[in-house]
Amino acid sequence: MQPPTVIPESAGTGILVEDVTRWFGEVQALSGMSFTAPYGQVTALVGPNGAGKTTVLLVLASLLSPDRGRVLVAGVDPAVDARAVRSRVGWMPDAFGVYEQLTAREYLRFFARAYDLPRDVVAARVPQLLAMVHLTEFADRPVHVLSRGQKQRLALTRALVHEPRVVLLDEPAAGLDPRSRVELRDILRAQAAQGVAVLVSSHILSELEEVADRVVFVDGGATVGEQTMAELHAAAASAYRVRAADQSRLTDVLREKEIPYSTVGGAVELPAMTEQDAARTLELLVTAGAGVVAFDRVRGDLESAYLSMTEDRG
Amino acid sequence: MNAGHVWLVVVQEFRIRLRTGRWRVLLGVWVGVLALFTFLVDSALHAGYSSGSDDGLRGVPLFGALMYFVLASMLVISPALTAQSVNGDRERGTLATLQVTRLRPGEIAVGKLLAGWSVGLVALLLSTPFAGYAVARGGLPLARIPVVYAVVALLIGSVCAISQALSALLTRTITSALLSYVVTAALTVGTVIAYGLGVALAVGQRPQPSEGTVWWLLAPNPFVILADSAPRVPPQLNRQGNVVYVDDYDPLSSVSRQLRELRMPSRYFDGSGRALPSTAPERPLWPYGLGFLVLVGGASLVVTSVRLRTPSDQLAPGVRVA
Repeated sequence: MQPPTVIPESAGTGILVEDVTRWFGEVQALSGMSFTAPYGQVTALVGPNGAGKTTVLLVLASLLSPDRGRVLVAGVDPAVDARAVRSRVGWMPDAFGVYEQLTAREYLRFFARAYDLPRDVVAARVPQLLAMVHLTEFADRPVHVLSRGQKQRLALTRALVHEPRVVLLDEPAAGLDPRSRVELRDILRAQAAQGVAVLVSSHILSELEEVADRVVFVDGGATVGEQTMAELHAAAASAYRVRAADQSRLTDVLREKEIPYSTVGGAVELPAMTEQDAARTLELLVTAGAGVVAFDRVRGDLESAYLSMTEDRG
Repeated sequence: MNAGHVWLVVVQEFRIRLRTGRWRVLLGVWVGVLALFTFLVDSALHAGYSSGSDDGLRGVPLFGALMYFVLASMLVISPALTAQSVNGDRERGTLATLQVTRLRPGEIAVGKLLAGWSVGLVALLLSTPFAGYAVARGGLPLARIPVVYAVVALLIGSVCAISQALSALLTRTITSALLSYVVTAALTVGTVIAYGLGVALAVGQRPQPSEGTVWWLLAPNPFVILADSAPRVPPQLNRQGNVVYVDDYDPLSSVSRQLRELRMPSRYFDGSGRALPSTAPERPLWPYGLGFLVLVGGASLVVTSVRLRTPSDQLAPGVRVA
């Protein structure tokens, strides 16, 4: 018997996943996964392949029913009222098809109508969305001429066409060029700023690190960690890379202060330490006149945390 | 069920279909084939009525032959119109994005069916000029035309609905397409074989051996339904003022006559195989066959919309686990 889960105030919670279990035949895709994603924030869903990310997004998108447990999306359980959920949630799957024969404008207009948007709203919103993802010049060209990244951007506008309160994105950055990734980040931040609960799964941790407010780590169909990025930064011990104008001067100072270090590919690396320790070390180096020009984490905190959570894989 | 939603799906499907295939070419070929067929049958009938006295009534057999040809063609085309409409969308990854909108499963099912069906109806409508030509050949009661067209339209719709349900039930498009043709073959050839076997078994039965006890095995056959539902052609007077049965060469009339005789009590027949007038009323069998197919079509539509319902217990095929 499990203790009853305290349900957070629904006003603040765009997504609530509560002890969700789901089997596919012999394979257990979700085994008691629980997490929340509040309104106005971007929540990253991170985990190795097969951790259950896509499956839980299918459950949240009202396509798949859980064997046990429940979810609330914008305060509504899809098992109770799937259509109410659909009006409030936008979902972008990792693998999807577009109607190749339609033009980008027709494609978007069709979905706007399928979400019951009034005609005048459709007429105003479709060009606005196409402009947002820089597809205006492709508005009247068939979708099959678009590149993969452009289709990805079109699919993003489809997920946003009905101004959902909750947005679910499964690997949205895959196939996007660097500029599009930056723009995707801006779009997600803008959504969060408008009070939307954004849940995004991705393997590109450096991207997530810059866009996410919170992170949910999943593995083996269950949640293994859930924290804010601020908590993550504070707790994460990371190795640091230091560059100085004069490298030998830097190593002299390090030896003098008895700070352990290693040289990796011409750069100096300091072993893993917390943010506080890193701040103290930097201060020490600067006051000792080591000529530091760069002092940064070897890898992002999200990546470090991810690696430490998944290091015991077989 | 919201008519606006259904219409949205119909327009969408129609648009995609129109832009995928070479429709103009295909429909052009279809009209050409119909024209050729009409010309050949008309010439053959003209030669057949060598006496010339009944020639002015040859519109009846011409129309019958034309409509049998149209039905046979439609039975080949119809399964292809919808046999991939659900699993094909799944394969292309466009079904799930449709299911997460506010469109209801029933609206998607009906919209897709109407789109496929209406392509079949367009092909059917293209045969009307040739039916008009048959009217011009004479002898054809005008009431026959709308009834025969309505029945063909319903038969196309039923086959489309059945094929669509198969596409919703089966994962692979190739399997559902194949099975749709198996179903059509079962309705056309299968019913005749079943009837033949049924007769062989029934004849051995006592005390009253009769071919009439297994007539219902033929009822779902689309050709049987079409022939039997066509309104009778009354005997007419030819140019010499003699009474002629203009339906002698007409496939619809002769098939129907033979079918109804199956259900008649034993009677005497004249030299030409025509039953002598009997007091027993003729009993049509098309209401059973057409009713059966329309019911199966309706049930197929329900199956399709149930299979489109989400959140589902099953994983949509093609979606990987975890």
